Amino acid sequence: MTRSSLWLAGAVAATVLGFAAPASAANPVRIGILWPLTGNAAAAGQASKAAVEVALDIINNPHPELANLPLAATGGLPNLGGAKIEITFVDHQGDPSTAQQLATRLVTQDKVHALMGAYQSSCSFTATAVAERHGVPFMVGESAALNITGRGFKWVFRGTPIASDYARTYMRFFAEMKGQGKKIESIAVVNENTDYGTSVSDAIEAEAKKSGVPVAIRIPYSASSTDVSAQVLQLKQRQPDVVIFISYTADAILYMKTMRNLDYRPPMVIGDDTGFSDPSFVPAVSDVAQGAMNRSAWDIGKPGSTTAKINEMYKAKTGRDLDDTSARNMQSFFALAEAIDRAGSTDPEKIRDALTKTDLKAEQLMMGYQGVKFDNTGQNVLAATYLIQLQGKQYQLVWPEATANAKLQWPMTGWTP
Amino acid sequence: MTKLPTSRVGVVLLAAGLLVYPLVFTGAFYHDVGVSFLLAAIAASAWNIVGGYAGQISVGHSMFFGIGAYTPLLFYTLFGWSPIAGIPVAIVLSLGLAALIGLPTLRLSGHYFSMATIAVAELIRLLVSTWSFVGAAIGLQGPASGRGWWDLTFRSELPYYYIFLAVLGLVLAVTAAFESRRFGYYVRAIKAGERAAKSLGVPVLQTKMQALALSAVFTSVAGSLYAVKTGFVDPGSGFGILVSVQMVIIAALGGAGTLYGPLLGALILIPLQTATNNWLGGGGSGLTFIIYGGIIVLIARFEPGGLMELWYRLRAKRWRKLDAAA
Repeated sequence: MTRSSLWLAGAVAATVLGFAAPASAANPVRIGILWPLTGNAAAAGQASKAAVEVALDIINNPHPELANLPLAATGGLPNLGGAKIEITFVDHQGDPSTAQQLATRLVTQDKVHALMGAYQSSCSFTATAVAERHGVPFMVGESAALNITGRGFKWVFRGTPIASDYARTYMRFFAEMKGQGKKIESIAVVNENTDYGTSVSDAIEAEAKKSGVPVAIRIPYSASSTDVSAQVLQLKQRQPDVVIFISYTADAILYMKTMRNLDYRPPMVIGDDTGFSDPSFVPAVSDVAQGAMNRSAWDIGKPGSTTAKINEMYKAKTGRDLDDTSARNMQSFFALAEAIDRAGSTDPEKIRDALTKTDLKAEQLMMGYQGVKFDNTGQNVLAATYLIQLQGKQYQLVWPEATANAKLQWPMTGWTP
Repeated sequence: MTKLPTSRVGVVLLAAGLLVYPLVFTGAFYHDVGVSFLLAAIAASAWNIVGGYAGQISVGHSMFFGIGAYTPLLFYTLFGWSPIAGIPVAIVLSLGLAALIGLPTLRLSGHYFSMATIAVAELIRLLVSTWSFVGAAIGLQGPASGRGWWDLTFRSELPYYYIFLAVLGLVLAVTAAFESRRFGYYVRAIKAGERAAKSLGVPVLQTKMQALALSAVFTSVAGSLYAVKTGFVDPGSGFGILVSVQMVIIAALGGAGTLYGPLLGALILIPLQTATNNWLGGGGSGLTFIIYGGIIVLIARFEPGGLMELWYRLRAKRWRKLDAAA
């Protein structure tokens, strides 16, 4: 077996020779971004990649027309002598172990100054652990799991709102509606029963308890159900004032149609993004779910506004309007770049320090947050969201009123003219 | 199956190559690739015992891998214990599961054993994804930074590399040891013809059970190594069907039922996976999977017995030539 074994030994060396060391340019700021660019969540990763490339253009080239965004007016990062940002995108394919390996590569081979990612919570868990071990700032652009922040990590920041922020937004909305004389005495939560639905409805239940509008009934169900009449009849019997759906696409559509068939129309229905934001949702239910609400932190806004200009740039690149998930990633990237510029250095310790002192105001953002400010776990405490309402064949921004471009209709009309 | 002349020189050279690899290719990323290769080789070699030697094609080995991965992290999450504490418990659990699965399903023949293992592994995956005690769909995490060496959470990849290498050595040594013993002949006899083996007095069910148990133990250890190294496991990465399929592909690619086949398979597949993803992944065009899949298709089409078989054939040809010359 001499030769075969020898060959094996030789192959150990030969197969890895191909990895080339990346070239390093003069003094650009290097950021490594981990996303699922293939696999199940490829669409989200690709859309976010395009969004961040638009953000990169805005930062690296002068865009005086977007002057309210930090770093837009100038080319590059002014405090680093106009240094440009360079991004290395990698594809973790939705696999936590690959995410760990690629984060290691970005830190040790590509020598990036900061990391960002990773969409799937599982990949964010492993990639942030690498950043923490090596002492590199990590911006979590968009991952849902609550405990990505709050594990005692020093180097992890998250710009996006999380389940508890959404729950708080709903409660603020209810309080305002009650102030206007609407009757909201009981709410129902209908959630799909995996990770996403369970964690969001837990958060809503906790916030509801605090705000004194108790969750009257909680109905978990499997998103692959083909019949939800039992759940709808349960709702019909309890007559809650608001029903919140935490659903994927097919089940969200099924609920709206079943409610029509069983002639059940609550005063208001609120969908928690996901299924209600799917491109196929509105065409499928617009004739039976008029007035259904949804959340989104992104709004294209009026023509000529900063957000509309950003949307035009994105649309020119991809042919689509910018979506909520990609926009939240884009905002997190802006916040990271702003902190690096304020740090005036690519030293990781200084960038981390600048991130902890981040204090962006609402008017400096492209999103409907109240600002960007990280608490000591790294979570953005000013993250919030808009509420939108299905009116006709599209969603309109209806709350908060100050930014609304249409008037809220309460109660929802459903299928009635 | 003829016993091939082994050479200690070759084994020593292979061992030496693996030992010095991290010293030649320095840098955490190369080490990490090395670690991934070793882990894949361990898991595929473990699968090889029952799937290769005994010919019982399990496509549900992720059930043992997952138990191996979950148990140490569960103990850490519940009690803050070192992940080391969970490894022996995982082995015992995997043995229990192997007995539970093996007794009814190893009586099945043909494709039914494969189908039964897929079904059980998927069942466990679904169960785990809804059971909040084990982290449900979110999964479990290990210590972010080690409290000491006993947490097996290292900043450097080097300790993992040598721990994994030692385990791989152990798996291969055990496999080599039974190859030439009665158990080794029994399993190969069963693979060649179960009914014939039975008629010659081979205790078929018992031997298959032993092979499955041994395989389960090492697969469970592979899972534990994965969990301490990654510091995270969720239903997909622990019990997912791709975990099982990767073991089968690697072993089949290198040569199922041969000692070094799974090692060779991992040696080709893992660097290939990493290299294609690193060169092309950032573009997001999906070319990674096209090239990766294409190579598997080529090997399956032209060398279905695995690369070790190709090697044996080439060598046999050379010997015949030498014989003719002499």
